[in-house]
Amino acid sequence: MKRIIAVCAVGGLVFASFSLVQAEKKQLEGSVSISGAWALYPMALKWAEEFQKANPKVKIDVQAGGAGKGIADVLAGMVDIGNVSRDVHPEEISRGALAIAVTRDGVVPMISENNPFLGELRKKGIKKEQFVAIWITGKLTTWGQVLGNNQKAAIHVYTRSDACGAADTWAGYLGKRQEDLSGVGVYGDPGLADAVKRDPLGIGYNNINFAYDAKTLKPVSGIVIVPIDLNGSGQVETAESFYATRDQITQAIVRNAYPYPPARDLYFVTKGKPAKKAVAEFIRWVLTDGQKYVPETGYIALNKEKLAQGLRKIR
Amino acid sequence: MRLFKDYIARKVMVFLTVMPGLLVFLMFVGLFQKSKAILAVKSFSELFLHSSWHPFSGEFGLLPFLMGTLWVTMVAMVLAVPISLLTAIYLSEYAPKLVREFTKPIVDLLAGIPSVVYGVWGVLLIVPLIGRHVAPVFGIYSSGYCVLSGGVVLAVMIFPTIIHVSLEVFSSVEYGLRETSLSLGATKWETVKHVVLRKGLQGIIAAVVLGLSRAFGETMAVLMVVGNVPKLPKSIFDAAYPLPALLANNYGEMMSVPLYDSALMLAALILLIVVLFFNILARFFLVRAERKAE
Repeated sequence: MKRIIAVCAVGGLVFASFSLVQAEKKQLEGSVSISGAWALYPMALKWAEEFQKANPKVKIDVQAGGAGKGIADVLAGMVDIGNVSRDVHPEEISRGALAIAVTRDGVVPMISENNPFLGELRKKGIKKEQFVAIWITGKLTTWGQVLGNNQKAAIHVYTRSDACGAADTWAGYLGKRQEDLSGVGVYGDPGLADAVKRDPLGIGYNNINFAYDAKTLKPVSGIVIVPIDLNGSGQVETAESFYATRDQITQAIVRNAYPYPPARDLYFVTKGKPAKKAVAEFIRWVLTDGQKYVPETGYIALNKEKLAQGLRKIR
Repeated sequence: MRLFKDYIARKVMVFLTVMPGLLVFLMFVGLFQKSKAILAVKSFSELFLHSSWHPFSGEFGLLPFLMGTLWVTMVAMVLAVPISLLTAIYLSEYAPKLVREFTKPIVDLLAGIPSVVYGVWGVLLIVPLIGRHVAPVFGIYSSGYCVLSGGVVLAVMIFPTIIHVSLEVFSSVEYGLRETSLSLGATKWETVKHVVLRKGLQGIIAAVVLGLSRAFGETMAVLMVVGNVPKLPKSIFDAAYPLPALLANNYGEMMSVPLYDSALMLAALILLIVVLFFNILARFFLVRAERKAE
């Protein structure tokens, strides 16, 4: 027994002196756990990497699993930050969800490059009400009906199976919710891209950062982004064709040429104000210095006003 | 002091043994508590006989999910049971010792592969195969994300369960019986049919039921290939939406919609009850089989 007390005392002394030394150093330490939206995953990884370079004593781990998982995890207290790629519902806010907009991206409709009507679709584009008729009401079932000819080839509609921001945002553009989108449900952004790629008659939607290749900045091989006929003229004018590279589409979102939704804000969600110092510091850094990594990772920077709003929220 | 320690150790061990049983019970109670909210406001028929699933509009028809689960499980069983049984018969009665020793670890390895790996394999291989080659043979269009794909992937996943248990059952049939049958002039196949299968019937049923309950609850691999469309499937080339997939896909949304989590907990409760029932059934047959073999 005596020995145990002695060991405890010595241990306590060592620990106390250790923490004194630590206090002198004033280095940020701790851990931050992040989970959620696929859409924000590459960006969160980049931020985590850079932040850890500057603060070697902070450990940040990032997982992906869909916006729904992110918000569920953060509200259940499993992680510090949930990545959410859709608007946060009032019910979630009433449970203590605090949403901080950190960056922007968008969702784009896509088809396979082997689509037999590719040339025509590129010329004519697809109108918003046609998208509604494809995904929501199911009134359009053949490519002929979309293009106004008598082609009988059926449209194979794809959607996401997991609760996610991309689906909710795309459904939001069509005035509905994810559960109202018809089509074969595929898991995850990469899965949906792959399913559409392999189906010449398929149509789907995807986050910009999964639809475009991060290295070449062109659409992922095998995938073609369908132009949206924004003014309903039945033609894709020069002002409506900005899908060739990732830079073109992001610039279109910046100058509001691409509608909102399917363009959207991406959020960090915390449960109430972040209490952990490391978490609060990380979010502050993301809203300030971290913003310089946004364009190179393929996202769109928020305006000053929104960033300032976010900073006010965590203060 | 020594005696006291012994006493404590015994108590702790008893507690640890009772724990798993208690856990199941606690889960059951917890899920039931959670599902009460929806059972209180929706009638039984609204929940289990309606096929309209729109939680945001307050419609919680679970029928498509129940049917989806049944379809996929049935297809898997039809594919898996004959193949697994014939494999088990071959391994236990016909195969040379070397082959048997060599095959057993491979079969066990199949059981150890994570289900996500099966899912990926399904997406890359089975889905295109069925979408491009199998469905056109029947003159039907299918994206490949359908009941059949789910069934095929599941079948491969439950092979090891059925083969393993069947092998155990066959090896518990006495050698003397086989020799008696053979010495009376029966062929090998007749012996298998009339002696081994007859003796092992209870055990085989148990093996099948265990496979069934494994198939029923499998989540990840199935949700990656069945298409997840909440409609009643009309053929094996239609997409379906099994219960476990419903839970896995929507666990994030349940925070934001009233009654949604309650509906999902009800789905979980159904799964738990069904799997428990199957397991108890299998146990029952296994016990009887053991008694018979003695």
